[in-house]
Amino acid sequence: MARILIEMRAAIMRRSASGKRAIGGLVLALIVTALAVSTLLAGLVHYHYRGAGAAVVATLSFGWLVGWVSGPLLIGDDSTLRMDYFKLLPIPPRKLARAMLGAAFANVSLVFSLIAFSAVIALGAQSGAAAALIGVVAVLLELVLAVVASTVAIAVFGPVISSRRGRDFGTVLVALVITLLSLASGLVPLVAKRLTDGHSPALSDVVEILPSGWGAVAVDAAGRSDWGLTVRSLSGLVILIAVLVLIWPPLLARRLTMSARGGRTRARRAAGHAARNPILPSTPFGAVLGKELRLYSRSVLRSVMLMIAFLVGVMVAVIPALTGKDMVLPWGGLLFTVIAAACFTNFYGDDGTALWLTLVVPGAARADVRGRIWAWFLVVGPAGLLLTVVLTAVSGQTWAWPWVLAGEPAMVIGCAGLLALLGVLSVNGPAPDGGPAPMRVLKVHIALIALPVIVLFPAAALLLAGQAGHSTPLKWLAVPAGLAWAALLCWWSARAAERRLTTHAPEIFAKARV
Amino acid sequence: MPVDNTGDTPAMEFAGLFKQFGDTIAVDHIDLCVPRGSFFGLVGPNGAGKTTSLSMAVGLLRPDGGTVRIFGQDVWADPVAAKALIGVLPDGMALPDRLTGREVLLYLGLLRGMPREVVTERSDELLRVLELDHAESTAVVDYSTGMRKKITLATALLHNPRLLLLDEPFEAVDPVSAATIRTILQRFVASGGSVVFSSHVMALVERLCDQVAVIAKGKVLASGPLAEVRGEQSLEDAFVHIVGARTGGTEGLAWLAS
Repeated sequence: MARILIEMRAAIMRRSASGKRAIGGLVLALIVTALAVSTLLAGLVHYHYRGAGAAVVATLSFGWLVGWVSGPLLIGDDSTLRMDYFKLLPIPPRKLARAMLGAAFANVSLVFSLIAFSAVIALGAQSGAAAALIGVVAVLLELVLAVVASTVAIAVFGPVISSRRGRDFGTVLVALVITLLSLASGLVPLVAKRLTDGHSPALSDVVEILPSGWGAVAVDAAGRSDWGLTVRSLSGLVILIAVLVLIWPPLLARRLTMSARGGRTRARRAAGHAARNPILPSTPFGAVLGKELRLYSRSVLRSVMLMIAFLVGVMVAVIPALTGKDMVLPWGGLLFTVIAAACFTNFYGDDGTALWLTLVVPGAARADVRGRIWAWFLVVGPAGLLLTVVLTAVSGQTWAWPWVLAGEPAMVIGCAGLLALLGVLSVNGPAPDGGPAPMRVLKVHIALIALPVIVLFPAAALLLAGQAGHSTPLKWLAVPAGLAWAALLCWWSARAAERRLTTHAPEIFAKARV
Repeated sequence: MPVDNTGDTPAMEFAGLFKQFGDTIAVDHIDLCVPRGSFFGLVGPNGAGKTTSLSMAVGLLRPDGGTVRIFGQDVWADPVAAKALIGVLPDGMALPDRLTGREVLLYLGLLRGMPREVVTERSDELLRVLELDHAESTAVVDYSTGMRKKITLATALLHNPRLLLLDEPFEAVDPVSAATIRTILQRFVASGGSVVFSSHVMALVERLCDQVAVIAKGKVLASGPLAEVRGEQSLEDAFVHIVGARTGGTEGLAWLAS
């Protein structure tokens, strides 16, 4: 039966491996190969500090095991062999459990993991043939552990993930992981240094106590002829695998008989009271502003984009400051604003088909454009300004004040208008799976560069001129000049967006529903 | 042109309405007249052009040719005047789904420039009558398909339009709610409103409508009072006859339940 499942999975993968997805898969495979080879190399390196090798390999193995367990959860309940397929089949759970576990071993990822986990063998080979042999056993056990743990994790967390609430949570998690990975370039050297110079024994202990580190510990112990520890570590792996294999069938049975319905979004009870005691004006503009502000606080896509903007903005500024480089700190707020602007360049496309409501209401364009502009301004503006002021003050870089004060307010005001115009000019509807379409992602990247250039060039020209001519008044002149240009830009683009939405609403709607 | 409140101007009128997607002609020069005060059923097989026609009638899809008039107002020349007169329930379209039903209604009412007290009062009634008041704190994203239909119907009724354009309003709605909706619509027509709705359920159209149009392959094949269109037979038989379809299912599958 495992063979049928493997064939079925292969058929599904063949169907879905077309065009863009194939290219994406190839890129992913290259990245993973690179990661696997560098893990292997980390096992070959000779470290000055004794024990550092085991700590480094244990840490990297931890990373790979986390990948195995979290990967299917992040991508979604195993999208090739969904458990729902088997719910109605008259197959005993125990037999299905064995088959599914067997099918799980027919996984290409095992090749990459074999390369990566071989770091343990390489580590052992540094101390001799016996340790290398222990390494081979450890690698095999770790691979089995990876597959079994991954399968069990789907059964445990799958129902949570496949509910809508869970998918929301998954989206946030993916965004968080990608954000952290993109910032890892700053953090990895820090962790690596701690591990290799032996200054942080606590960190080494933690990575070696975790099951992912047991292989490295066994090999390291074999190298020191501490056979007791070697046997204990390897037995630990065997016992862990056995426990997971034993709990898998009942878990699967439970999983197959439960509904995937998750928690519900509870809009706050206060909503009813707020409707009766309004803060916002009871006008079309107030209606749009109210709706938008609610969506900023409740929509997962919007919260994730704001979170990424905040994390990247703050961490890019703060991480260098940890090592004493304060030059970047004042720019955190501006970076947050630019990313928050670039992420929201798809006002109307992100509505999808919900945009029909705006189209059937006569004369709604003006209120709609203005409401969206103000909502973005109120969500991003105060936070960006606060970040800018606080980070600049903390940094003690007094030279930065005219720069950031000319940049931040202008950026918020200018972008607010431009976002509405971009939103009606370039509309990217959601992808079939509900996520952002590739063109929308590309637009974000272009906007990251284009928006600051368009909004900030007058202020930047004055600042650079002031810097070149050592003229402080010229630099401070950039503040009102930047504001004036941004205000003009905002006013003009808001009007243009309004006109476009009035005349081209059906065309915008057609693009948003694709 | 001011809205004609007394005369015989039809509630809705298509003249030479045309829409093409690539090589496919979705709506092929349709002429259709919906008399005011009528309960008008639009029937046709899947892909006949019903939704495309209705989308062009409410301003969601720009026609490639022809005109749509709502009480004499050209939807595409004077959209503001025409849109003020209609309530729309499109099929399969999203709502701002992180809002609760009440919040959606409040948003739409205010967007239409209605006073807040009126919006609040009508929302209370609509939610109660459509039995959505027990889901007061549930966001639309967690609504069932039937509940979504009902809240969308509420958005169509909120501003008390003169003409309702409803695309498959009864799909996925439970029998009790369907009865409620039928009663609401019948009351609406009895008090002078007009309703156009599309449906696959012939029995429903037969029961509710006094006027009916059969659309297939982008053309109106038959249109007029129900009795005229169906003649002596049931609407379902008349429909199969008019559309020229052949009902399958009699050949093959010999092994089934043998």
